[in-house]
Amino acid sequence: MSDGRATICLEAPAPLALRDTTLAEGRDARDLRWSRMMVAAQAGDARSYAALLRECLPLLLAVCRARLRDATEADDAVQDTLLTIHRARGSYDPARPLRPWLVAIAERRALDRIRSRSRRARREAPVDEAGEITSGERGVETELDAQRAAAKLRSAIEALPLAQRTALGLTKIQDLSLAEASLRCGMSVSALKVATHRAMHALRRRFGPEN
Amino acid sequence: MTLRSEDLIRQLAANLRPVQRVSHPAVATAAWLAIVAVVIALAVLVSGPRDDLAERLTWGADLPQIFAATFTGILAAFAAFQLALPERSGRWALLPVVAAVAWIATMGAGCLQDLALLGPDAWRISMSMSCLAFIAGLGVPLTVAMLWLARHAAWLRAGPVAALGGLSAAALASVGLSSVHGMDSAIRVLLWHGMSVLVVAMLAALLGPRVMRRGFAAP
Repeated sequence: MSDGRATICLEAPAPLALRDTTLAEGRDARDLRWSRMMVAAQAGDARSYAALLRECLPLLLAVCRARLRDATEADDAVQDTLLTIHRARGSYDPARPLRPWLVAIAERRALDRIRSRSRRARREAPVDEAGEITSGERGVETELDAQRAAAKLRSAIEALPLAQRTALGLTKIQDLSLAEASLRCGMSVSALKVATHRAMHALRRRFGPEN
Repeated sequence: MTLRSEDLIRQLAANLRPVQRVSHPAVATAAWLAIVAVVIALAVLVSGPRDDLAERLTWGADLPQIFAATFTGILAAFAAFQLALPERSGRWALLPVVAAVAWIATMGAGCLQDLALLGPDAWRISMSMSCLAFIAGLGVPLTVAMLWLARHAAWLRAGPVAALGGLSAAALASVGLSSVHGMDSAIRVLLWHGMSVLVVAMLAALLGPRVMRRGFAAP
């Protein structure tokens, strides 16, 4: 599989890419080819593996987009799916077609995103309630203070090392569980814990303890 | 979006290592049962089989309960290995339900028989921590063995796989326990065996996914 063809597959809109693949060779032939590529990947063939992942990307994106309307979330779910495919690649049985195996993993990761989004939504405070506090002159001052504090915090976070910034962003800001965060960034759960702890420690040292 | 996916694919391909293909669920179940058989046989030998084991088995009164528990253990293990594969239907989780219901029913029937024979004395419940210790003592390590065998499910359906693994381990440990000591009343069997199995299955469901991800799964 040439790199040129892979790029075309990546950049084409998902349904069109799927239609193109199906038209070009038929589903059975494609399933058989994908299955062979996965068997080669299980044996350690990196070229077949990369080519397979590139080819199936439009399918994964179509599955995630069917569940998640937000394009960024669908893209994140595709990344999670790629990581899960990598971790679970030994569980593919060549006696069966690869497509349902891929689709099942993508569906699961998309559903995880939906669950994680609803958990976040339940924890967030309604914006209207915050609006009442910032009304009037005192409110404007308070809002300015809050904006300054937020800017300071943002710059402090940006100054953190990359691993700490990633860990903090996923576990504290996006509020993902350690397992989900580990899936997203590829860091181990213990490395995430250490990085988050160090990031929080650095921020506390700069801003003082939380009230 | 495309670039991020492309970067990730490049990284994954660069870190690719050959992997051993996961065994078919039937083969994995057979391997699991072999481990369980050896461990439980050793535990029964160490504890010493109950004196009336041959008599009870010949008589046949305990056989339906033992068969139902064994089937529950086997079917729960097979279901766990099926669920551990991404594309298999979630309905595999229902496979051990009939056997488990039959197992509870045989224990319930024993309670009614005792009630008919002994009257209200049949319902006298006493502590039997040894049951809990035997089932949990065997069930927990066996569940860990199951989690290792099904570690490829760590990032997919870890919770249900671990719960079914725990159910299988505890049900089979309960069969082992029936060979070690007799219960004086069916209500004690129902309560202590049932509770011990429930405790092991719940522990497996709660802690199993973490054990699989931190201990056994690829990072």
